[in-house]
Amino acid sequence: MLLFVTTYAKSPGSGGQYEQPILITSAGQSADVSLAGTLMKKLNLNFKVVNLAKESDLNGIKTLIIVPGFSSKGLGAAGISREQELERVKLILKAAKDKGIKLVMLHLGGKARRGAQSDDLCQLAANASSMMIVVKQGDEDQFFTKLAGQRKVPIKVIDKMADALTPLKEAF
Amino acid sequence: MMIYSNKKRMAAFFAFFVYISFFLITPVLKAQTADQISGQNGMAATAHPLATQAALEMMEKGGNAVDAAVAAAFAIGVVEPDGSGLGGGGGMLISFAGGTKNIFINYYPRTSEVIEKLSFDFDKDKKTAKSILVPGTVAGLLAALEQYGTLPIGTVIQPALQYAKQGFPVDETLSKIILDNSTVLGIYPGTSEIFLPEGFPLGQGDTLKQPLLAAVLEQIALHGAKGFYEGAVAERIAHEVTANGGMLTVNDLRNYQPVISEPLQGQYKGFHILTSPPPQSGASVLEALNILEQGNLPKWGHFSNSERSLHFLAETFKRVSADRSTHIGDPKFNTIPTTGLISKAFARERYSDIDMGRVNPPDNRSVKAGNPLKYNSVSKIKYNYNQEKEESIESDQQDDEGMTPSQQWKNDKFDNWGKKKQKKSPAPVIRKNVDSSEVIKDDDPMDAYYDTGLSPELAMAAEASGEGGHTTHLSVVDKDGNMVSLTQTIGNFFGSGLSASGVLMNNGLVNFSAVSEKNKIQPGKQPRSSISPSIILDNDGKPFIALGSPGAGRIIPTVVQLIVNLIDFKMNITEANEAPRMYSQKFDEKLYVEGRVPVEVRAGLEKKGHQLQVYDDFDLFFGGAQLVMYDWQTGLFYGSADKRRGGSAGSSTHRSEQ
Repeated sequence: MLLFVTTYAKSPGSGGQYEQPILITSAGQSADVSLAGTLMKKLNLNFKVVNLAKESDLNGIKTLIIVPGFSSKGLGAAGISREQELERVKLILKAAKDKGIKLVMLHLGGKARRGAQSDDLCQLAANASSMMIVVKQGDEDQFFTKLAGQRKVPIKVIDKMADALTPLKEAF
Repeated sequence: MMIYSNKKRMAAFFAFFVYISFFLITPVLKAQTADQISGQNGMAATAHPLATQAALEMMEKGGNAVDAAVAAAFAIGVVEPDGSGLGGGGGMLISFAGGTKNIFINYYPRTSEVIEKLSFDFDKDKKTAKSILVPGTVAGLLAALEQYGTLPIGTVIQPALQYAKQGFPVDETLSKIILDNSTVLGIYPGTSEIFLPEGFPLGQGDTLKQPLLAAVLEQIALHGAKGFYEGAVAERIAHEVTANGGMLTVNDLRNYQPVISEPLQGQYKGFHILTSPPPQSGASVLEALNILEQGNLPKWGHFSNSERSLHFLAETFKRVSADRSTHIGDPKFNTIPTTGLISKAFARERYSDIDMGRVNPPDNRSVKAGNPLKYNSVSKIKYNYNQEKEESIESDQQDDEGMTPSQQWKNDKFDNWGKKKQKKSPAPVIRKNVDSSEVIKDDDPMDAYYDTGLSPELAMAAEASGEGGHTTHLSVVDKDGNMVSLTQTIGNFFGSGLSASGVLMNNGLVNFSAVSEKNKIQPGKQPRSSISPSIILDNDGKPFIALGSPGAGRIIPTVVQLIVNLIDFKMNITEANEAPRMYSQKFDEKLYVEGRVPVEVRAGLEKKGHQLQVYDDFDLFFGGAQLVMYDWQTGLFYGSADKRRGGSAGSSTHRSEQ
């Protein structure tokens, strides 16, 4: 079973508040995580994507990007249950916090990644992040905006996935 | 013209009016509810408003149900590109209003004549060019049009061409499917350019244009099937498939021919059911109905609210799937015991194998296939549309008023829709898609796996995954009562993922089995498919209700549940469509139910030994059924599209010349 794809690109060494290398992982195993990788490639950032990242994958990592969104197909492909995924996400978030790694939440899937199966994953990720980037169709009910307000963390609500390039470029 | 659409499609569809309003004819939108949608000049129900629109346009131009269905089938391949298209295939069931002629066109893809040169890994290659079969859509649809349609190709293909060339707005359903499949869509550049412009998936409201596909459609409009199967288009498709590791030659394309036959036919509680012959799975639909006929579902209650009924359905479908995987394959390569499979006697035997108190055997994979061969030599059934049935059903219990459920149903419901109960109309039907007296061996795929020492888990996964199926279904009835029930597919969502000359190619090879003798890969062969377009006839043998669904292995249970809802539970077609659904089979240990099945029913099922998997209240996992109905007495047409997949039913308010 192929559980992750690893891609490294060279670091441009630009100067945002978030540092590289970056680890990207999923919270819910949707295909959105690979689209986050596409964004990183376009920005030529130093990153790797590990769908089922665990604590050991955080070694040497400066920023964790978490991409929430439930996918039964993705979980099936990974061979894990939703409960196992929730537990994994909790562990990686805690490990990142313990190591002082900054965390960015990237919600790319819009309405398709909201709802009963996704929202607890979204909340977990949002509550651990120091910055949120959200495609607006996923925030029509202000779900993320409210969480960001409560926690006083910045949120960038964008029209389309490709628009995430701008805030990510600024961040890194 | 009136189009009724699921709410979530409405916004995108409204935007489309503005975008290409020049070819729309003052449609009126109305959200679909449980109320029946009715009209007076034909009806179409498809998975997308624009495909429904295409069907209605043909009927407004004076075309018949075949013209409308072919137009809708071409259009749906453009506007629902994840489910079907020119690169796939399917099955088209036509029932003519006269009540004497029923046709089935099998245009499912088949393997290349040189398929043995291909090395295919059922696990690794299922979403690659290696999984591509010779597509049959164009040949099948144009054969139907040529033989039974009335309008020219150029007219019928025009809506599809417009949608491909000018584009249409991506709706919520398609945007989610593109997003979910973005990894696969990114593999081949020709595909990613269409669906992932600049690397990111098209989202809701974006315009999807398919200019290369439009160019192919133009060739078909100009040259008919030769525009696709011969010349430059065929050469490009064959080249692109083989260049990416697949096996498809120009000769394969040139030689593709659909199979035109009589449909399979059976009876359920006095109603005649037309459906798809092998290697498609109408026989499994009929087998399931025959088994269910042995119980008394009307008395036990609807399966969404009755532990007993739901258990009965679950145990029935496990046995039907075991029989299907053992006995059904391409009849060109196998002897298929179809008569036995759909016989009442075999159903009684299978019914006796069901323990109504518990899941038995406790693990689904241990459900053994039955042996229909011993019932394969029964005399062919001659149907008299006014007879209940020739083969008696002892356990069709009488209710308190001394009527069988079917008699009761007719009294309560069918008469209300205008049936003339006693009118004699012999209309015998001779079935040709059946029979072998040869002794068959039980080649249960699970046994083959056990023999090879593979784990049951791997065996289960392998057999279950051998079911492509993201497919589409459409149903059409014209003003004269001619009916079409059509299911077509490109395999899994977006098929192989390879877009050859703009045509998304199927991944039909995954529908073969690595272990089943009857469904093994051979040159020129069609795989077993679960698609089951069906039509219920009235007692005069006239087409009454057309129905079908996509959904891979869920197709058979969903089609059966629709028929049971209509006949046993006297639902109208929209109620039947919206009722909660369930799914079980041999190669999966779980019993899947929609969330509307009450908690107490679920608890009771778990006590019986079922492992439940609960989905959303309305979940596309359980298919996307489209139904149309014609009430011959009132002259009213009814339609129902499945809200699970954003379907759309519509009728024409324009009265054509009689």
